Amino acid sequence: MEHLRLLFVDDEEELVSAVVERLELRGIDAVGVTSGDEALHRLREERFDVVVIDVRMPGIGGIDVLRTVNRRHPEVKVILMTGHGSAEDSEIGRRLGAIAYLQKPVDLEDLLTTIDRATRSPKGDERDG
Amino acid sequence: MAEGRRPGLQREGLRFFGAVGAGLSHELSNVFNIINELSGLQQDIAAAAQGGGAGIARLSELAARIKSQVARGEEINRSLHRLSHSVDEAAEVFDLGEALALFGALAARPARLAEVELELRPPADPIALSGDPFALQLALHACLKAVLGAVGSGRRVEVRTESASGRVRVVLASADPVPGLGSDPVLASMLGLACAVLGAAARTEPDGHGGGSVVLDLGAGGGTGTGDP
Repeated sequence: MEHLRLLFVDDEEELVSAVVERLELRGIDAVGVTSGDEALHRLREERFDVVVIDVRMPGIGGIDVLRTVNRRHPEVKVILMTGHGSAEDSEIGRRLGAIAYLQKPVDLEDLLTTIDRATRSPKGDERDG
Repeated sequence: MAEGRRPGLQREGLRFFGAVGAGLSHELSNVFNIINELSGLQQDIAAAAQGGGAGIARLSELAARIKSQVARGEEINRSLHRLSHSVDEAAEVFDLGEALALFGALAARPARLAEVELELRPPADPIALSGDPFALQLALHACLKAVLGAVGSGRRVEVRTESASGRVRVVLASADPVPGLGSDPVLASMLGLACAVLGAAARTEPDGHGGGSVVLDLGAGGGTGTGDP
C-alpha cells in the first residue's frame, strides 16, 4: 500500500489524529480532517485514493460526501464508518458504491485489509459490510 | 404535584429518554473509540521505540490524552446517571441551576450536530424548585428542539434564567425568529404534557430585532407545579 493517499474523516479530532498517525506508521500517506466540508475541500485540491469517513457528523455527513465523490471524483474509493449503524444507512452506502461499511470501533488491521482490497479492485467490485 | 398526570408523560418521556440516552451512548462510544486508538498508537510507538529514549515523551503525552478521554467519558456517564435518576421521584425539591447544568450537558450533542453554539447562563443564586425534575428536562429538551429547528448553522443560542415578581422563566434566545410551538405536532405534544405536569407554560416571543425566544414560564415563586395547575 505504498504511495497510497488516504483521507480520514471524523468529527472527533483525537480519533482522527491517532488513526492518521497509526496509518502513517504503516507507510500510508494519510491526511485527517474533522468535517465533510473540509473533506470536500481537500478532495478538490489534492489527489486521494481512498476516503474513510464517518456517516454521522455535524454538517455534511459521510453519505453526502459519498454522493459528491461519485459525481466529481469517481476514481476515489469510499469506506463508510458508523458508531451505531442502521441497516438503511448501510443499504444506501452500498447502493451508492461505498467499498465497505464498517462498524466502530474499527480495528486498524481490518481497516488496512479493507483498504488493501479496495485499492486492488475496481470501484464497485469489492463491497462488504 | 399531580401524580395522576405523570402517566401521560410516559410515551413522550420514553421518546425523550431514548433520544438522549442514544446520544449519550454515542458520545461514550466515541470516547471508547478514541481510547482504543490512543492505546493502539501507544503500542505502535512502544514497539518502534524499543531501546530508544525518543518514544518515552510521546508515550507520556499519549497517556495524558488517554486520561483526558477517560475524564470526558466519566462526565458523559455522570450526565446519563443524573438523567436516569431524574425519574426517581415525581415530585421533589431541586435546584434550577443544577437542572440547567444537566440540560446543558444533554443538549451539547444535539447542538453540536445542528452546528449551533449553546451558551448556558445559569442563575447567579440557587433557585429551589418543587416539582418533577424529569418533566423539566423534557420541557427544556422540547424548547431546545424548537429553537434548533429554527436557527441556522453557526448561530448561537443563549439559555438564561429570569426572575421577576416571583416568577421564574427559562429563556432560550436566538438571533433568528422562532416559529410557533404548535408547528411540530410531536414536539407540541411533548411540550404540552411536560408543561401540564410542571404547571408551566411555554411560548415563543420575538425580540424586536429579527430574533426570537422560546420562553418556559415556570410560574410564581419558582415552583414548577406544586399542585394541580
